[in-house]
Amino acid sequence: MKHGLERLGQLLDRHVVGHDEAKSALLLALVCREHIYLEGPPGSAKTRMAELAARGAGLGFFFYQMHRDTRLAELVGDVVLERRPLAAGSGERIHQAIEPGGILTADVCVLDDISRAPGEALNVLLRVLNERKFGERPIPLLCAIATSNPLRDEYYNEPLDPANLDRFALQLKVSGLIQSGDRAQARELVDRFADGSVQEQPEPQAVLSRAELDAAHAELARIEVPAAEKDRLVEFLRRLVVDYDCDETNSLLTDRSFLVKAVKLLRGRAFLAGRARVERGDLAVLSQMTTFRVPEEVQLKVPELIGEITA
Amino acid sequence: MKVPELQRLSEHLDRVVFAQEPAKTGLVLAILAREHAYLEGPPGSGKSALARAAADAVGARSAELAFHRDASAAELLGELHLRRELRGSRERIAIERALGASAEAELLLLDDLSRAPGEALGLLLRALAERRLGPHALPLETAIATAGAPDLESYADPLEPGALDRFAIQVRMHGLLAARSFSTARAFLDRELAARATPAFDRATRHALQRRAAQLPFEPAARAALLRAVERLTRAAGAEPALFSDRSFARAAPAVLRAHALWRGGDRVQPEDVRALRYMLARRLPEELEGEVGALLEQAIREPAGTESSAPGARPAAAADRSGGAPAPGDGPRHTLPVESLEARQLSLAAVAPVASARGDEGAEVESLLRALAGRLERGAVRRGEDAAGAPRSFRRMRRLEEMLDADPVDAALFSEGRLPSGARVYRRERRNAGGALAVLRDVSASMEGRLASSAGQVVAGLVRVAARRRMRLGYVEFNHEAERFAADGAFFHRRYRRALALARRSRAEGRTNYEAPLRAALGELRGCAGRERHVVLLSDGMPILGDPNVRNERALAQRLGVKVHTVFLGLGECPKVLDEISRETGGLRFEARHAPGGRVTLRERGERR
Repeated sequence: MKHGLERLGQLLDRHVVGHDEAKSALLLALVCREHIYLEGPPGSAKTRMAELAARGAGLGFFFYQMHRDTRLAELVGDVVLERRPLAAGSGERIHQAIEPGGILTADVCVLDDISRAPGEALNVLLRVLNERKFGERPIPLLCAIATSNPLRDEYYNEPLDPANLDRFALQLKVSGLIQSGDRAQARELVDRFADGSVQEQPEPQAVLSRAELDAAHAELARIEVPAAEKDRLVEFLRRLVVDYDCDETNSLLTDRSFLVKAVKLLRGRAFLAGRARVERGDLAVLSQMTTFRVPEEVQLKVPELIGEITA
Repeated sequence: MKVPELQRLSEHLDRVVFAQEPAKTGLVLAILAREHAYLEGPPGSGKSALARAAADAVGARSAELAFHRDASAAELLGELHLRRELRGSRERIAIERALGASAEAELLLLDDLSRAPGEALGLLLRALAERRLGPHALPLETAIATAGAPDLESYADPLEPGALDRFAIQVRMHGLLAARSFSTARAFLDRELAARATPAFDRATRHALQRRAAQLPFEPAARAALLRAVERLTRAAGAEPALFSDRSFARAAPAVLRAHALWRGGDRVQPEDVRALRYMLARRLPEELEGEVGALLEQAIREPAGTESSAPGARPAAAADRSGGAPAPGDGPRHTLPVESLEARQLSLAAVAPVASARGDEGAEVESLLRALAGRLERGAVRRGEDAAGAPRSFRRMRRLEEMLDADPVDAALFSEGRLPSGARVYRRERRNAGGALAVLRDVSASMEGRLASSAGQVVAGLVRVAARRRMRLGYVEFNHEAERFAADGAFFHRRYRRALALARRSRAEGRTNYEAPLRAALGELRGCAGRERHVVLLSDGMPILGDPNVRNERALAQRLGVKVHTVFLGLGECPKVLDEISRETGGLRFEARHAPGGRVTLRERGERR
């Protein structure tokens, strides 16, 4: 069962140099059915990774480039008007209907440049992502992968509001290999393109299926979370709130994310490592949850904090 | 030695556009490498003519998109149509996108790209990058965008980094006259230029050339040189490395180098092909560094393998070159970069003496200060207001019939059939309103020399940009023993951001420090200036020697007016207490520069930190 996910990991490694953290987070998101948000500068392989993960997982796949004019219809299918004549000569009825498509029929969706979309479209998205249903109709969506450029002046984007951001359990910052000065990886990347081998590569084939992912997800519930790890999780949250002054005004430490989703992600980590129980090392995943949920200066200290707690 | 077809291509281009070699070469490389290109230059420098000529000369099917303020995704990607069809007894009305001529083009010309509202481009640029529009694969090989130089005072928003990064090739063009190339200008008068270029070859030949370029082997030495060059360039770019993306420099650069190898008639990519990087840099490096690029690349090419790690040596060498060292020998990078244009440009800004460009390490540090200040200035400072010339932000009901042009298509159709008595939905267009006032007070006393002056210059330039983005009114004072105000159009607070930027580059250091004079001058102006968001940034390096050292009157006045005074201490010794007190009393931010060993300057917030 795990093999499909392993193959997907290999596929990502084959196509993308570096970015190990983002790659494993993508796998985790797929197996845990959580949404993931990747933020980074242009040209740092965000979209590429998202697309590869979605395609390689062999799932119904919807890619959408968010933009300023994004309309509801583009996300959920076609909005059409229907005119229907009423009983002989008594007039007609016009109504608006949605022919489901896009996010309503996909297993995985990639929402590129999410911070560019107007609030109007995002509000619908928020509800759909959270409830995984549209109106009364359940949708097959497993996982939404959103990408965004950094929220800075020269980009015409606006920060996601906290409610939208909280839908994405996993949140990562991605940076370019060249920009981050990673010489060895930059060299590997240049070599790939200088060899010309990349251009020949075919589009990836699916290495996983929905059935396999469903089975993996069912497996999660059987993974044991020892009391000691639960204690550590709560200790981590306590330290954030008490020692680092994280509260409603500056942070998003919601019960939903940190008492429900965090546990699921811990299990997911254990599952991907082939274990039947959560170990303390799995707590590292918490730093991928706090990324944009705590103030930046606190986030810098989170890995250290996790280190202290798991020592 | 050159490939005959490419030789012919040069000749055909020369018949239509005179001179402008960097731009011509850049376009040829883009077409050979199947990458997108961006040409930036002043009006009338031949950008569009050259783009069209290139399309014709390589025998490509081309289409042209003209950009303007209201260019919308729909317009760029194909019109939206209403389609009505009968299904049984029902009629279905849906919106569909009709593919336009641009979907057929092999070479797409994007004219005046900078006129498009920043955000409308996202979709188009994705289509360009993937050469795919929804389910349709596009035959697109190269898109050539032209744009005017970004200008703080112009109405167009500058293109964002993500958009620019889609264009691997980026060349800045200079008018012959502005670049003071008078002899070339004279020669221009003797030339008869054709209106349109004739094809130098056909599609099959073009594709064969592209394949040939893509298959050229890449020498390991050339890879090493490419990496060295990218490393040097990122370091030179300093604070703004956003555009040194993996996409451009790991993925596109090898293709561009291959094209360059073919262009010069080589049979493999060699270290010298790293020179092609110069055609990728217009908006990736600050303009001030344009003159140094050649030397930087030559160093990367020549540096023998195995010494990459000795990179720190690069900086002094580059600096020596800048301060008048001999230009690189050989066929040299310099003849293609119109160096003389730099002086001309700076002269045209204002009659101020330019200082050597500040760059590198300190740049990165100044960034943190600017971010903090920008955050403070931004808070509640700028409200968006409805404005017919603004960017569309959301929908509202139509108020006047002429707004139909800006209406949602379905609504418009229904309204036109009389089915929507309340009117169609139209875009609400908004733009940022004036966002308060900012006075920058810069110490130019004798101790503000060299590195300090350049740090101060960067801070001032950054503040001017922050003000420009927020449409804040700006005042600028230089002070030593006395304060010198710089008025524009007779007013102290103004929006002549470009002029203020030119002033920021100026370096002078004389006289002694006096805080009273500049604060009094700025507060006096702020007193008569409405609005809640009023800020003063005081940059200084030392103790006030003249005037009231405690500036009691001014502190009281600032508090009474509710003006926030932010202080930046750039000096070597202890920060004068008075700076702390001013900031604390007025709710301003406090920064100081620290001088680390090795000559680095770092800026950080002063005072108590938790």
